[in-house]
Amino acid sequence: MALFTRPRFQQAVKALTLLGLALFLYTRLADGTLFFYINQRFLAYTVFAVVAAVLIAVSYRPGVAQPAAQSHANLTLGGLLWVLLPIGLGLLFPPQPLGAAALGNRELTLIPSQRSVLPAAVRAAAQKSAAERTVLDWLHAFTASSDPAQEFAGQPVDVVGFVYHDPRLPEGKLLVNRFTVSCCVADASPVSLVVQWPDAATLANDSWVQVQGVLQPGEFNGRPLPVVVARRVAQVEQPAQPYLYP
Amino acid sequence: MWVEESQASPGNAPASPEEPSERSATKGLARRRWLRVGLTLLLAATALSALFSNLWASGAGLLYLYQQAQTFVTIFLGIFVEAVPFLLAGSLVSGLIAVFVDQSAIDRYLPKRALPGALVGAALGVVFPVCECGVVPVVRRLYEKGLPLSIGVAFLLAAPVVNPIVILSTYSAFGWGPLFVGRIVFSFLIAVVVALLFSRARPDELLRPAVCQAHHDACCNAHSHSPPAHSATAPLSGAAGLEQRLTRSLNLAGDDFLEMARFLVVGSLLAAAMQTVVPQSALLSVGQGPVVSVLVMQALAFILSVCSTVDAFLALAFAGTFTTGSVLAFLVFGPMVDIKSSLMFLSIFPRRAVAYLILLPLMLALLMGIGWNLNLGW
Repeated sequence: MALFTRPRFQQAVKALTLLGLALFLYTRLADGTLFFYINQRFLAYTVFAVVAAVLIAVSYRPGVAQPAAQSHANLTLGGLLWVLLPIGLGLLFPPQPLGAAALGNRELTLIPSQRSVLPAAVRAAAQKSAAERTVLDWLHAFTASSDPAQEFAGQPVDVVGFVYHDPRLPEGKLLVNRFTVSCCVADASPVSLVVQWPDAATLANDSWVQVQGVLQPGEFNGRPLPVVVARRVAQVEQPAQPYLYP
Repeated sequence: MWVEESQASPGNAPASPEEPSERSATKGLARRRWLRVGLTLLLAATALSALFSNLWASGAGLLYLYQQAQTFVTIFLGIFVEAVPFLLAGSLVSGLIAVFVDQSAIDRYLPKRALPGALVGAALGVVFPVCECGVVPVVRRLYEKGLPLSIGVAFLLAAPVVNPIVILSTYSAFGWGPLFVGRIVFSFLIAVVVALLFSRARPDELLRPAVCQAHHDACCNAHSHSPPAHSATAPLSGAAGLEQRLTRSLNLAGDDFLEMARFLVVGSLLAAAMQTVVPQSALLSVGQGPVVSVLVMQALAFILSVCSTVDAFLALAFAGTFTTGSVLAFLVFGPMVDIKSSLMFLSIFPRRAVAYLILLPLMLALLMGIGWNLNLGW
């Protein structure tokens, strides 16, 4: 692999690899699919990464760059392949947010425990009118109550989420879910509402629905909690922002 | 450590300048390569069979397999995309240090003895706000400049927590309280203790050959003022213009990034695989006892590999259901060591040292968590 270790060739490969990475990040950023992977608050960091990668790539241009003398500075073919792997996998699998497949091995959150959420988020959720609340807002609201099943009975609900048929649910019920992401999808955790809908079985896992209905006392897995008795369930497009941010 | 074996196969062999090709050495290398290939295959087989056992159980067929793969790729890219900016930032700092920081400055301003060194190193994060990805290239470059061992280890372990950004995010998640204070104090203490233990070792036991060589050159030449011509970290001659020096530092930053990115990719792959295959609910339902809960949260921190700048918000989700000691262990241990950062440590340290860098914080954080749980129980 004499060609590969030649300084000029090394410079070119490094520059192209960095440009490739920058381009990959930029395209994901431009079409909004970047937020299938990370929380919005990391937008600025990703922009920085694109700029920095281009800047470094440009610094390798011939005539300016000095070939590195250090042995561990040489990029090997194996090293190059590893670095290109994220781009390869990203192109092979079209960007898609986490869905029902990821719910199988995660802990469902139907009622968060008392201390487990930001007090500010709970207050913000309490100020929203019932029709404006997301799945996450509802769970925050439930947190503040000692007996949510009774307290919220009769309140109107209008939420969007994806469908998941939990094996513990009886016929005619399903879960409407969103993932919350505080950093990147590695920490994604689902928030879910139990929905009672006669035609539940006709809705496939992962299909996005808008659910309108009324909260009534119910139970899931033996625990009492508010259940949405649906008046109307409509299939909708996947939202541009599939995750919720706590 | 199969984790390290499997990753070392692609990059390590050509990257490290091995000793002259004596016959026994080549034989040993060949045997080790076979061992690596074997372990990699074994790992792949285990992962596949884990996937397939799920497949048979659910009986949903190819679609299920595709969805699992899709989930795996999404999580992998999530960890990678989130970490890349921090690694780039760390590499840029590393490049600037290489070109603009004089070795004699490190010699003059930083303490040489172990205890002051460890204390200074653990507090250095206040000046260099980095997370656990960005800290690795910076520490490696500083070692090449002759940084004393204990300062580097303390900095490596403490900086991801003891820095303004993380302190602020922890405060906004938990407010002023035992978890906030405990996280900072114990991160600092554990980093200092591990650094003191590491300071008993010789540099050539602790650093990879290439890093060690530069470290040694730096130590010995700082006094004689004749930097060796072959070293890339040697400052350019005084005639070099600012533009040339900046280009040089960008070049070095790129070299650093491309080398470390390999470790980041492998680490993210492993973390994503663990998350796809190991059910999180199983882990969380294992136990609530004062001891088991701490171990569970440490395992979770290790697997999740979430950036230290935001993991406080994540820990909040467990604050109600898990013991306080275990949440504290999550907050202290996670930023020091997780799958992706421990793989990146391999670019500085040999495997044995990395094993110690994982095990020592693990034990100390475990003791801290258990102690905390029992004390509060009284």
